[in-house]
Amino acid sequence: MEEEKAMEMSASANHADTVPRMFWHGVKTRAAKTIFRQKDFGIWQAVTWDELGRIAREIGMGLASLGYAPGEVVSILSNTNKEWMAADLGALGAAGVVNGIYPTDAPIQVEYLLFDSGSVYAFVEDEEQLDKVLEVRDRMPGLRKIVVFDMEGLHELNDPQVMSLDALRALGREHDAAHPGEWERRIGLRKPEDLAILCYTSGTTGKPKGAMISHGNIMATCAAYQALFPQDENDERMAFLPLCHIAERVGGEYHALYTGAVLNFVENPETVPENVREIAPTVFTAVPRVWEKFYSGVLIRLKEAGALQQSAYKVAIAIGYRQAKLREERKPVPAGLAFAFWLARLLVLNNVRKAIGVHRSKILITAAAPIAPDLVRWYMALGLEMLEAWGQTESCGAVTGNPRGGVKPGSIGPMMPPSEVKLSPEGELLVRGPGVFMGYLHQPEKTAETIADGWLHTGDVGKVDAEGYFYITDRMKDIIITAGGKNITPSEIENQLKFSPYITDAVVIGEKRPYLTALVMIDHENVEKYAQDNAIPFSNYASLCRRPEIQELIQGEIERVNKTFARVEQLKKFRLIEQKLTAEDEELTPTMKLKRRLVNDKYKALIDSMYMKEAA
Amino acid sequence: MSDVILELANVEASYGPVQALRGVSLSVFKGKIVTVLGANGAGKSTILKTISGIIDPSKGQIRFESEEIQKRDPDWIVRRGIGHVPEGREVFALLTVEENLRMGAYTRSDADGIASDIETVYGYFPILRERARQEAGKLSGGQQQMLAISRALLSRPKLMLMDEPSLGLSPLLTQEIFRIIVRINREKGTTILLVEQNANMALEVADYGYVLEVGRIVMEDTCKRLLEKEDVQEFYLGMKAQGVRGQRRWKKKKQWR
Repeated sequence: MEEEKAMEMSASANHADTVPRMFWHGVKTRAAKTIFRQKDFGIWQAVTWDELGRIAREIGMGLASLGYAPGEVVSILSNTNKEWMAADLGALGAAGVVNGIYPTDAPIQVEYLLFDSGSVYAFVEDEEQLDKVLEVRDRMPGLRKIVVFDMEGLHELNDPQVMSLDALRALGREHDAAHPGEWERRIGLRKPEDLAILCYTSGTTGKPKGAMISHGNIMATCAAYQALFPQDENDERMAFLPLCHIAERVGGEYHALYTGAVLNFVENPETVPENVREIAPTVFTAVPRVWEKFYSGVLIRLKEAGALQQSAYKVAIAIGYRQAKLREERKPVPAGLAFAFWLARLLVLNNVRKAIGVHRSKILITAAAPIAPDLVRWYMALGLEMLEAWGQTESCGAVTGNPRGGVKPGSIGPMMPPSEVKLSPEGELLVRGPGVFMGYLHQPEKTAETIADGWLHTGDVGKVDAEGYFYITDRMKDIIITAGGKNITPSEIENQLKFSPYITDAVVIGEKRPYLTALVMIDHENVEKYAQDNAIPFSNYASLCRRPEIQELIQGEIERVNKTFARVEQLKKFRLIEQKLTAEDEELTPTMKLKRRLVNDKYKALIDSMYMKEAA
Repeated sequence: MSDVILELANVEASYGPVQALRGVSLSVFKGKIVTVLGANGAGKSTILKTISGIIDPSKGQIRFESEEIQKRDPDWIVRRGIGHVPEGREVFALLTVEENLRMGAYTRSDADGIASDIETVYGYFPILRERARQEAGKLSGGQQQMLAISRALLSRPKLMLMDEPSLGLSPLLTQEIFRIIVRINREKGTTILLVEQNANMALEVADYGYVLEVGRIVMEDTCKRLLEKEDVQEFYLGMKAQGVRGQRRWKKKKQWR
């Protein structure tokens, strides 16, 4: 009876109310269509819904055979790849809860996340990730088994607690044959209000907090996304952001399951540009850092091009900007300009789009961090629609977004129904709606602080215009109050700095200080190129940073930005971070942003040096 | 800095479409042994070939005793005082040992000086005196290496470029060769730029080191300090922190700090 009902529900159109039901419905209806691609020995290999359904079912039933009970948590510790998604859907299908752990996390963080989430199984990508779990498993009595995706180098490992994904799937096949109907039963077990996934927020202050996201949160968000960013089975997307992050998990994986759009898993984080060019996605979601990288890549290549190409670009992009400006102002584009733009695209801009790999893109979506408005305008000038969206883990992803044909650069767009967004008297953005999370795991006080009077308190401060477009001015806790008592919103300045091809990221400093300063992280590749072009000798990263010519280069960029701000908002000094930071470093978030608080503490001496008396 | 004998600034070099050096800047101090470490294909040999004029750099300057020498002919550079001990010895196989040595002195005309220098290198490598009339092609690999070093010394270089002197040699012979390299440096004051895959050996004898990765310098320091760097230990000295399983195949990401 229960089973029948479950089947019926999972078969009901795209109105499935849980992730497993949605997934299984997709397997049934899209059977032989491609769900994703991943490279194998250099060749993109497609996987169909049927195949993914079979693999996920084997994983889920394998877990069931080991005694996995509904509602129990598994953790996945892997880079974004097809096994991640299969394990996620297998565990969710078996009525479980899935927690993602960043592959760049150190063993001590892995320990905390496994423990806090109460994980009973851990899926790990390979030997490297396995070692992290093995290092801490003695303190993890609740952990029953560790399942390894890639057994390379581990075939001789004989550890009763470790098994390969293939072995788990074999167990699943046997268990499935012996228990017909069990998978379907489990698919139907979870309800919309039940916990589906845990997303740990990076936690720049204190321990990470596990945000509880329900099936209902996810399904409502998918529906809202579809209204703003429509896509279907003919669309190609990239998957490369961490799946532990709400942006890729819901906006990427689940929204693709919802719509049938094809996901393409990149080989590794370094091959993103190459893979983008190969796939030419039609819908492309990325973080500002990626957009910045594409933009500076084009600018740098242009410097190498001949004079003719340079002036052709100048003319073409100017036409693009003129058209984009009219669009931004919602004015009609005169036929002459439209024709000029058509020509500009044909002769120049299409090549620029191709060089990036966005020549087929209908929409570009940017989220997860603020983006410089000028960068949005540049993409618009190429004739692309770049839609900035805003949200957070606690709202299950975006709850505002710029609509197609109505982009306002610098704005995060109007609220996305059915979510409601409003400003508190202090200017904080508050959110209410079906995407608002269930709360933090084991932390009712923190939950109560975050959801008060039925509204999610986002901590972002902003404003709203007459048309309902929201603008974020800063994180509430990031606002700097200088010694002179002036309130400064650092991210506005930082975004302008990041627009420079030579600056990857910057942190503005000035809390209780007489003036503003900044710590700057250079763009290694572009600054290196600048040094080569200008015969500035250097050996390694640190020596590059120390070159007076490079200091001058960055000084020039700072002065350019300073011109756009009032006197009190101008940066008086800066220092470069002389160590090349990687995702493994605690200073960076997994999306490669500098963590403000941590940087403030860690580089205190360097910061203090900017406030020493010159004479001393 | 008057005691910098050789300086490379922003040197780029390519083999056809393949860029081997992507902007290398380094300094070699007079009287020192400086080493460049790197894996296969990092561009180590290319650096030496670019210095000795076998390859012209596509960009950048090479200054020897403050004079720009890039794009000069190799023989001019030898006369200027740079000797090159190429990778794989490259002795003249059909000439005798002594003839090989005289080839090394090709740029000189002081017969007495040459004779005394030949005596000196026989002092370093007595086996070469024994084989003086033998064809160089019939020497063992180690003896050929000795000959190649000796041949370079015969031009009385101020700076010797050595390309993997340990290549194909037994550990014992390697040690002997390196002992002589140090001796040449100490006794004659010859500055040595040493390229090596045998990082252990190179870091032991050299004063200062650069680490080269795909045509870029990623690290530089005194050899003493390089030996303490985690990445140098793991990637060049084969030392790995033991994992929980007592073995570890995966490599951590290189950070070079």
